Amino acid sequence: MPFAWKAAGITYNRYLTVAARAVRRSLKDDKRLVAERRGETDLRFTKWTNGKQGEPRSVVEANQAAMVEAAGGGQSA
Amino acid sequence: MNSLRVARAALRARPSAIRAPLQRRGYAEAVSDKIKLSLSLPHQAIFKSADVVQVNIPAESGEMGVLANHVPSIEQLKPGLVEVIEEGGSSKQFFLSGGFAIVQPNSVLSINAVEGYSLEDFSADNVRAQISEAQKVANGNGSEQDIAEAKIELEVLESLQAVLK
Repeated sequence: MPFAWKAAGITYNRYLTVAARAVRRSLKDDKRLVAERRGETDLRFTKWTNGKQGEPRSVVEANQAAMVEAAGGGQSA
Repeated sequence: MNSLRVARAALRARPSAIRAPLQRRGYAEAVSDKIKLSLSLPHQAIFKSADVVQVNIPAESGEMGVLANHVPSIEQLKPGLVEVIEEGGSSKQFFLSGGFAIVQPNSVLSINAVEGYSLEDFSADNVRAQISEAQKVANGNGSEQDIAEAKIELEVLESLQAVLK
């Protein structure tokens, strides 16, 4: 496996997000404050089953849960 | 008889062979030795199809320099320094957070990244503070994902610290 983070279930998308966040936080303070707002994500979704609305969930939290699951699956496989 | 025909064929063939270079027309002398660079971030285009001489990129497969007429290829970029050498020999350096470089045919190079800034926009103090923080998380006993993310941050920050010096 060429990338260690893949073993922890981290997706390439998440990898880019984390790397970009580190770059933004490294900027000088004036630029940093402007740039850091680009890293914020606030997106929610709900799943509809049999015509009924499910519980709204945050995409970020759902992705975290999916990564933990992917890591566990990767280890047992 | 047969040899005569061959000789005549050769005679006939020669004038056209001589004429061929004279008939050549086109822009061959004007072929550009520049590469068209587009360096784009989601929120900004740093270069928009600009003519440059050479671009050095930190690909996952190793550092590489891209000149005009490079073989088409797609390269994943490490978080690192992209150097653009412009006409006249001046060069610009940008630290990119990672993305893709696509060398297209006809000397076109597209680089996509999430974040990219000139070196003078970075604060060495902020980098140092983040490194010690990320090291704490990486060596702590958080979740597997937290540790992996801290290691990604360390990769970015150490690369950044190395070029800031």
